[in-house]
Amino acid sequence: RKMKKFILNKDKKELNPTDEQIKRHKDFTRLHHDYEKVTKRSKRPLYK
Amino acid sequence: MSDSELVLLAKKKRSDFGLLYEKYFDQLFRFVFKKLGGMEETAGDITQLVFMKAMANIDKYEERGFPFSSWLYRIAQNEVALFFRKEKKNYTIPIDENRITELASEADISTKMSIEQQEELIEMLNGLEESQLEIIELRFFQELSFKEIAEIYNITEANAKMKVYRILEKIGKKWKGEK
Repeated sequence: RKMKKFILNKDKKELNPTDEQIKRHKDFTRLHHDYEKVTKRSKRPLYK
Repeated sequence: MSDSELVLLAKKKRSDFGLLYEKYFDQLFRFVFKKLGGMEETAGDITQLVFMKAMANIDKYEERGFPFSSWLYRIAQNEVALFFRKEKKNYTIPIDENRITELASEADISTKMSIEQQEELIEMLNGLEESQLEIIELRFFQELSFKEIAEIYNITEANAKMKVYRILEKIGKKWKGEK
């Protein structure tokens, strides 16, 4: 069963993100921090 | 710096993955945002997840002559599909009128369509198999070139073109059969 259905954009909703929206989500520091956290957790010895 | 040089740097030192992130974030966010019909927060989360997965698996990445972005697009396709599969409610993705009229003209249906006809055509598209709709979406709604589609599917450009036109032919026949 499809959870996604296409419809005609009658309301003329903006379908492309603005530069502002892109900038808001662009954060490599956070990504790198999350990555470090995840890899550190997976490297933790079993007895810990 | 070329993609292969950037990948090599990222394989040696994970913090250098930031160069690939900087290079491809905007276009990938745009891709996911459009696929989700403008759900900004979810698009942000999924885009970060795509880069996280790419970063974690960069050692397994092998260059096959395609740009690094095609690998990211493929991960993004899977993540968005997974999102819709996991969600319990239905989502509607708006499509601009000019995208539908272009599709109709390419499918040899008509160059001018009323709103009702456009809605009928969209309903027909919704009835396509998921894999076929995916290709149509990439070509007409994401506005990717045949070359970019070929890179995502790891096929030749000619093959990508053939896939698109076969689906368009199917849509055209079905449309004319119902009229």
